[in-house]
Amino acid sequence: MDTYAVILGMALVTYATRALAIFLLSRRLPPALERFLSHIPAAVFAALAFPPLLAPEGSFAPGLPAAAAAVAAAVAWRTRQIFTTILAGMGCYWLLRWIVG
Amino acid sequence: MTPAYRPASRLPPHGFWSGLAATAPLVPGVVAFGLVYGVLARQAGLSLGATATMSVLVFAGAAQFTAVSMWGQAGPGLLVATTLMINLRHLLMGASVAPHLRGQPGAWKALLAFGLTDESYALAISRYLRGEGSREFFLGANLAFYGGWTLSSLTGGVLGGLVVDPGRWGIALVFPLTFLGLLVPLLGRPVTVVVALASGIVAVATAAWLPGKGNLVLAILVGSEIGAIAEAWWTPTR
Repeated sequence: MDTYAVILGMALVTYATRALAIFLLSRRLPPALERFLSHIPAAVFAALAFPPLLAPEGSFAPGLPAAAAAVAAAVAWRTRQIFTTILAGMGCYWLLRWIVG
Repeated sequence: MTPAYRPASRLPPHGFWSGLAATAPLVPGVVAFGLVYGVLARQAGLSLGATATMSVLVFAGAAQFTAVSMWGQAGPGLLVATTLMINLRHLLMGASVAPHLRGQPGAWKALLAFGLTDESYALAISRYLRGEGSREFFLGANLAFYGGWTLSSLTGGVLGGLVVDPGRWGIALVFPLTFLGLLVPLLGRPVTVVVALASGIVAVATAAWLPGKGNLVLAILVGSEIGAIAEAWWTPTR
């Protein structure tokens, strides 16, 4: 099989997923659709954050990452700073790993 | 702004350099995974040129990892179809950012679409929601991840087995922590709490039987739709 043809195919379908909506939804949309779209950011953030924190191996099994994330969430609520949130979460995670051994 | 974020906050919050700077906490993680991708691709039998070309043209970490893990066992059609499925979530992210790009020249849309990833979308849409978004910020974020991903893929491909697995230090945790950090400030609205819980629960509950990021697509659809329904319900009472 032609490696570069496969890579080109992968590139085309990937670009299609990224560009299609940006170009198609360029006009005013019905309010119901706009409302739906307005909730996508929070839904995306939760969908990307929850599984690795609560189900690192695929099934629900909260462990050290979930504990560290709880601390990070509290820090995020207080500070609203991404950098501080990550530092708190990673610091907490490494500390817990060191304690648990 | 607290002093902790000074380096970025001294820049205008809308501009290209702010976009680059905002990626700083995530770039080390991207580079670590780029290195691993480079190693795995070479082990799967791809040439150095093909390994780097895939990162340059496709620029989609999860899809590339999956493709090289199937390389040699799957035919071209299956590889391309799997890539499409893994990247379907970007269709929803594109839809969500589309209203903010309305009126921009087609060339800008085309360029920004090429660089849209989970991470750059997340940073850019957060700025847009705060009224500080711009195409320049989005481009800066895209470019930082693109540079980090392509260069580290090439490096991993060259170094081969010399790369140590970054999973050992739990560096992958930086990604969910970032998304959590972007989510939490939005939770002041009750409807957003409902959206986040619905999406998060669906994503976790369906992870085992909807692999290839299918669980994310379902979670985003369900979460956003529940949000839209809840909002339509509550509006008349306000």
